[in-house]
Amino acid sequence: MMKTFAVRNLKLCTKDCLCLYVCPSGATDTENSIIDISKCTGCGVCADACPSGAISMVPWFYPPQQPKKDSVCYALNALAQSKLDAEKSALQISASTDKDGLARLMKAVAKSERLIAEDIMREAGYMLPQSHNTHVLLESLIKNPPEGFPVEAAEKLLAMLPDNEL
Amino acid sequence: MRYICMICGYVYDDAKEKVPFESLPASWKCPLCGAAKSDFKPEETPVSKLSDKDNSQEVPASKMKPVSQPANANPASAPTKASTPPTAQIDTPADKDSDLKKLSPDQLSALCSNLARGCEKQYKPEEAGLFRELADYFASVTPAIDDASVENIAALLWSDIDNYSGLRAAADEASDRGAARVCVWGERVTRMLSSLVIRYLNEGEALLADTNIWVCTVCGFVFIGDEAPELCPVCKVPAWKFEKIEGGK
Repeated sequence: MMKTFAVRNLKLCTKDCLCLYVCPSGATDTENSIIDISKCTGCGVCADACPSGAISMVPWFYPPQQPKKDSVCYALNALAQSKLDAEKSALQISASTDKDGLARLMKAVAKSERLIAEDIMREAGYMLPQSHNTHVLLESLIKNPPEGFPVEAAEKLLAMLPDNEL
Repeated sequence: MRYICMICGYVYDDAKEKVPFESLPASWKCPLCGAAKSDFKPEETPVSKLSDKDNSQEVPASKMKPVSQPANANPASAPTKASTPPTAQIDTPADKDSDLKKLSPDQLSALCSNLARGCEKQYKPEEAGLFRELADYFASVTPAIDDASVENIAALLWSDIDNYSGLRAAADEASDRGAARVCVWGERVTRMLSSLVIRYLNEGEALLADTNIWVCTVCGFVFIGDEAPELCPVCKVPAWKFEKIEGGK
């Protein structure tokens, strides 16, 4: 059985407060409506009791992503680059045009292409923040930082996100 | 004859409609997703062709291209990058010897902004903020495109439609379900973008006057209309997941 903890989605929570009645450890009884994970035992009774389906049980550890073949990564990376070239072009046009419709359309294209590129990069081996790939990438960026790279942010991430493939 | 919208799968069945598809005006739009008439194709054999469940059944992209290619868009002249800064290629670990794993700043930016979204979904707001900081850094060092134009964007979108069939073939061969999955929404959204950009090139500002542009924040589908659609025609999330694009800088 995967070890989990409870989280409350505040967009869905309708304050029926049944979680307060059933929680054996008082983890759901907080001022800011965020479940106290230091008290949560992972029993899941709050999620079962919630009438608005606002509580879900989230795993502490995520299984690794399916390994990726080079041929697939190559096709994914090439497509992502094309999407990002279109995003960049659209942002430049949007920032420089005086036409309201064109400015909005280009903003929409940029947003859409970014979402598609993110989805592609996710499948190119970077699905999980906790993955080994992500760790090795952050480590290599810290070791040889490009000019102006925020090394401290990368170091914090490494410390906060344990590698799930070790 | 039945005609199927290549973007959302809407079926226009001549047998059930008063006006045969061929007699509809060129300005007719898909009632579900707003795609152009030219984004429909006649149904060939069983209805399952556009089903997400069996991608291998889909019609080859070459047969599904919209009828109207952009007049000014020349796929051969895709935008080129301005001079590449020293940071442009960054070694990533898996295979230091091959160009394959060298990612450009904008790829690294998308990789990090996606990991930020992943952290949000795992209820890790602080980690999400840090990944966003990395994404913003890489976006800031991405070189400008020196010939950014609507025509070149149309050309990129046009070639992307073909590239999706290449990606799909590579994914199927490697039995990579995740990579096959990105083709399903990505290709449809790309077709919609292509269709809208071509329409803008033909119709100009009139296309967007006195109406709104909405982007689905999940799959990237773009919709033109006063209100967001009730459900995203591509990924089926509810209207509140759409973001209205505001004008101004």
